[in-house]
Amino acid sequence: MLTVIVSGLAIGAVYAAAALAYNVMYSTSKVLSVTTGHLCMLGGVFGAWFIAGLGLPIPVGLAGAIAVGALFGWITEIVGVRRVLARSDEHLWLLSTLALATMIQQAVGLWWGTEPKPFPRLIPQDFSAGLFDQKYWLPILVVILMAAGLELFYRLTLWGKLFQATSEDAFAARARGIPTDRVRSLSYLLSGAVGGLAGFTAGQLTFAFFALGLSLTLNGFIALAVGGLGSNLGALVGGAGLGLLSAFATYLFGGEYQQTIAVGLLMLVLLVRPEGLFGAKRVRPV
Amino acid sequence: MTRGRAKWALALVFGIVLVSLPYWVRDLYQLHLASLIGAYWVLIAGLNLVVGYTGQLSIGHVGLLAVGSYCFAILAGKLGLDPQLSMAICGALGGLVGAVLGLPSLRLPGFYFAMATMAFALIVTELSLAQGDLTGGGTGLSVPGFSAPFDTPWGNYWLILAIGTLITWLTWNVARLMWGRALIAVRDSEVAAASVGVGIFRLKLTVFIFSGVTAGIGGALFASLQSYITPDTFVFEIGLFFFVCIIIGGRGTILGPFIGTVILTALPELVAPLAKFGTFFYGLTLLVVVLLIPEGFGRLVELAVARFSGEPHRSHEVRPDLVRLGAALKEREVAS
Repeated sequence: MLTVIVSGLAIGAVYAAAALAYNVMYSTSKVLSVTTGHLCMLGGVFGAWFIAGLGLPIPVGLAGAIAVGALFGWITEIVGVRRVLARSDEHLWLLSTLALATMIQQAVGLWWGTEPKPFPRLIPQDFSAGLFDQKYWLPILVVILMAAGLELFYRLTLWGKLFQATSEDAFAARARGIPTDRVRSLSYLLSGAVGGLAGFTAGQLTFAFFALGLSLTLNGFIALAVGGLGSNLGALVGGAGLGLLSAFATYLFGGEYQQTIAVGLLMLVLLVRPEGLFGAKRVRPV
Repeated sequence: MTRGRAKWALALVFGIVLVSLPYWVRDLYQLHLASLIGAYWVLIAGLNLVVGYTGQLSIGHVGLLAVGSYCFAILAGKLGLDPQLSMAICGALGGLVGAVLGLPSLRLPGFYFAMATMAFALIVTELSLAQGDLTGGGTGLSVPGFSAPFDTPWGNYWLILAIGTLITWLTWNVARLMWGRALIAVRDSEVAAASVGVGIFRLKLTVFIFSGVTAGIGGALFASLQSYITPDTFVFEIGLFFFVCIIIGGRGTILGPFIGTVILTALPELVAPLAKFGTFFYGLTLLVVVLLIPEGFGRLVELAVARFSGEPHRSHEVRPDLVRLGAALKEREVAS
């Protein structure tokens, strides 16, 4: 039973990390990018390639994985979001980020192979540690640190306050002289780094697998919608809840109905509380 | 008058070419390809009303296709029902599943809806793997062909052509009359559409159920063409492919998505290197179209036709009718 809880929390931490990446992008641009899960996938695949493939030391591999994630986040903003937002058609960003997500997934699949490959050990530890194995506690620890770090960044630094101002009202922020376009670019860089770091630390749990992106995009979104759009605490709670739920569903009914139950949770929460557990109520503009 | 006649003549030639296709294609593979395009088109024509006209971005229609295919395989193959009757039941089941999917998810805004349909496609794959007794699980099911007179490749082709024509005609009627106007209004601004009395949710649901019916029928045709289906036949990329066909063809037209379907189905088959990069190529096409010509290629063709057919540019200048105005003013002066 304890195994179910620990592994559920660990996979929930990955969902929560994807939800955090969603939040960072959404706060400045009001765009929910389909590429979010692929940021984590890139962190895992490139981390494995740097360390196991090229034989680089682990800190360099970590920095490389974060850099690749950040780079792809930035490319997403330049190619998929900036032009589309400038034209202000509300649905087109969904199409452009979907196209980018498909392209990166296929490109990684062709280059890396379609089989999941093992991720190297990050910290020397015996494999007999059981529940205290690093593949469980590492993602949980890192996602809590990331959420706390983001919260500190928003509250204590000037750039964090610019992010908040842009998220509150981009037009008003622009009128006060905040370069909202640059803030948006930076938020995509930051969310790419968050995704890359999460994918790197969760690599031992999820393996370096090219098709991870789409499932993380979906499950991260469910965690986010359950927890409440825009709330980092909600992302953590939603991710943990979703992870526990799917772990228990697997334990009780077998692994076949995991996705069905996750979507059932999403529908239930959306019916009862459309804004999510910790989300702010938004007034619909007319 | 002559323009109208030219259009009818063009449509007639096009129809003759399509009907006589089995007599002049070079081999059976090309006929199979044409049938496959037809089966895809049956689904895409219905999906076009949802994506192209109503603007609901459903990326998971492959789930409905899978439902139709499995239904056909089970009814016509396992239970030995009449294939044509099974196909009708597949359409009904597709509509039912479309209603079940649409009832909760169509209330959600754009991105939520897209994610819900994507989740639906994944759920169908999951269930088809889990319910091994019914669907054969990972090993899949073999699918029978249609019975006489549709049991030959060309008979099958004509059946698909007839159904495709019927559904194209239906969608054309929906699109050009009041319904189509309402759909476009919902796509462009839901608030404005609601304010002029369009029942948004009912409209969306009706169109979505219709697309479910066509997806069910398309699934039956698709399954009989594939002759063996497994859960791997219905990968998420096929759903993306349907979606890309409509977007590159242009939103709010019927001819555009049709051309998109023909080109995107035939191109990877005819140009070998594209087959390997198939899905990457779809993604790239989608990106280029969204960024450069968001109205799609259909709109480009329309613009070119308007340019070369020499139709005069209509101006909407409003001129005051000075004579009537003067008369009215004079009347008022007389009255006072």
